Amino acid sequence: MNISINTIAQNNLRRKIFRSIAIAGAVMVVSATLFSITTVMDSVELSLKRSIQRLGADIMVVPKGSEVKAKASLLSGEPTEFYMDNTIEDRIKKIKGVKQTAVQLYLLTSKYRCCDVGEMLMIGFDPKNDFTIMPWLTESLKRDIKDDEAIMGRAITAFQVGSSVTAYGRVFKIVGMIEQTGMKFIDTSMFLPMDGVRKAIEESKNKGNKTVNIPENKISTVLVQVTPDMPPSRVAIFIEYDIPGVTAIVSEEVISTVRKQLFILLKSVLSISVLLWVMAIFLIGLVFSMIVNERRREIGLLRAMGAKKKDIFQLIMTEASILSVIGGLAGIVLGGSFLFFFKDFIRSSLNIPYLWPEMLQFALLIYLTLLLSLLTGAIAAFYPAVRSMKMEPYAAIRKGE
Amino acid sequence: MIELTEISKHYIIGKEKLKAADNVNLKVEKGDFLSIVGHSGSGKTTLLSIVGALTKPDIGTVKINGTNLWSISDNELSELRNKLMNFIFQFSSLIPTLTVLENVLLPTAFSKERINRNDYAMALLDMVRIQDKANMYPSQLSGGQQRRVAIARAFINEPAIVLADEPTGDLDEETEAEIMTLFRKMNEDKGVTFLLVTHSSEIAKQCKKIYRMTHGILKPL
Repeated sequence: MNISINTIAQNNLRRKIFRSIAIAGAVMVVSATLFSITTVMDSVELSLKRSIQRLGADIMVVPKGSEVKAKASLLSGEPTEFYMDNTIEDRIKKIKGVKQTAVQLYLLTSKYRCCDVGEMLMIGFDPKNDFTIMPWLTESLKRDIKDDEAIMGRAITAFQVGSSVTAYGRVFKIVGMIEQTGMKFIDTSMFLPMDGVRKAIEESKNKGNKTVNIPENKISTVLVQVTPDMPPSRVAIFIEYDIPGVTAIVSEEVISTVRKQLFILLKSVLSISVLLWVMAIFLIGLVFSMIVNERRREIGLLRAMGAKKKDIFQLIMTEASILSVIGGLAGIVLGGSFLFFFKDFIRSSLNIPYLWPEMLQFALLIYLTLLLSLLTGAIAAFYPAVRSMKMEPYAAIRKGE
Repeated sequence: MIELTEISKHYIIGKEKLKAADNVNLKVEKGDFLSIVGHSGSGKTTLLSIVGALTKPDIGTVKINGTNLWSISDNELSELRNKLMNFIFQFSSLIPTLTVLENVLLPTAFSKERINRNDYAMALLDMVRIQDKANMYPSQLSGGQQRRVAIARAFINEPAIVLADEPTGDLDEETEAEIMTLFRKMNEDKGVTFLLVTHSSEIAKQCKKIYRMTHGILKPL
C-alpha cells in the first residue's frame, strides 16, 4: 500500500459522504443548467443557420396578407395554403438584383379523405428551375423526376424510397428523401413535381375522395435568390414596390428576428445560471473554509510529518477537484437526460427548426462543461487552500485543539 | 546534534505577555535520551515545537546538525521534519479518515523516496501490540490504542530524532513501561535521539538527562 495525497483526499471525501454529496450536488445543478442551456442555444443557432442555408432562397414572395401563415409554415412547419397568380414569377425575374426564381405550390393532404398520409403539406415544385429541393436529396437521382414520382421529407418515416403514396387519387412513387434539416417545413413535407401536382388536382375531380379546386395559373410562393452585389432586403423592397399584392419575406430577417427573440429569453436563463454559478462558487468556498477551519489540527499534523505547503494546497484542491468533476459529470448526465427526455417539449416550446449539435460540437460542450465544473471547485477552494497552506504548523495544531 | 541558543518565545494572552521560552540554551547530542519536566503551561510543548521547527522563536537560533533551521526554505524545513525527526503529540494525532495502517504510513506520503513500507509499518504495529487493528479506523480504538498507533507512526521514516510530548500520558502503567522499553531499545539499538516532555517524574527518571522548565526557563537537574 502506497499512501499519497490523493489517498488522503479520497478518504476524506468518502468519510464525509453527505458533505461530499452536497458539494458535488451544487456543482451538478450548475453544470446541468449551464450544459442544457448552452446546448439548446447552440442547437438553436445551428438550426437557424442551417435553415437559411437549407431554404436556399434569400427571399420568399407570398400573397399579401399571407406573411404570418408563411412565416409559421417556414419556422414551425404548420401546413398552410395560400395562392397567387403565376405571372408574378416573370415579373419578379425582371426586378434588379434577382438572380434566380423557383415557384412552389402548397397543397394540404387530409387523412382518410384523399391521401395515405395525415394532414401535411404537399409542395409542388418546378424541377427545371429548382434550387431548393433536388440538391438536398440523401442520394442524388441523376435524372429528371417524373410527374408520378415524389420526394419525402426525412421526418416522414412511414414511407421509404421505392414505396408508393396516394394523394388525391394519384399514386406517386417515392424516389428520394431529403436530408434532415430540422425545419418541419421541409422535414415533414412531400415534394412533387409541379406537373404531378397539377395532374393530382385534375384527377381529384374523378378519382379522389376530396376534390381540389386550384386553378392552373395559381402558385403559392416564388422563392428568390439574389445576386451577390445586392442585399436581399433591398431586392425585397423593389419587389414589393413593383408588384402590388405581394409580400417579400427576407429569410435572414425572419431567422434573425426569431434568433433575437429566442436569445433574449435564453440569455435571461443563462444569466440566472451564471448567477447560480457564482452563488455555487461562494457557497462551496464557504464550505471549504469551514472544512479548513475544522481540519486545522490535521493540517498542522501533516505539516509536522513533513508535508510541504504545496502538499496542503494540493490536498484541498484535490478534494475540490474530485467533487467538481463528479458533480460536473453528474450534471452533464442530468442535463443530457433532460434534453433527451424533453426533446419534443423543447422543440414544441421553441416552435422553430431544431437540430441537435453535431458530435464534435457536442463533445466540445461536454468538455467545456467539465472544465467549468472543475473551475467551480478550483475557484471556490482556492482561497481556503491558500489559507490552509499558510498556517504555521504549531499555531494550526493549537487552534485545532 | 540539536543546539538551541538564547531562545525566547512569548505569547500575548489578553493583555498579558506570557513567556513560553525565556533565553533557553540547550545542546542535545546524537543518541541522547533527554526529558524535560515541568508543570502545565511552563513552556515545555512550545520548546518542543521550536526544536521541531513547528514554530519560530522570537529570538535565538535553532541548529540541527549545524543547520540553522530558520535560514533554510520552508520546503527544506518540511523535508528535514520528514526525514530527520518525528513527533508524538499529547493529543490524539491520528487522521480520522485513515485506517490504523494508513495512519502509520502517513509520513511516507511526503517522502521523496516512495518506498513501500507496509511490512515495516506492520512490524511497528506489532511492536506496540496493535497489529490486529491495522484495518480499523481511529474512532474504533481506545485512547491508549490510538496513542500506540501514533508511537508506531513516529518511527516509520526511521527518524534520527523523536520529539515526544507526554508520550505515555493516557496509558496504563504496564503499557507505559512497554513504551518506555521500546524507546530505550530504539535509543540503544538504532541510536535514535529522544527528547521527551513530561510532567511525570517517573518517566523522567528513566532518561539519561533531565531538565526542568519553569515559566519558560530551562535548567538541568
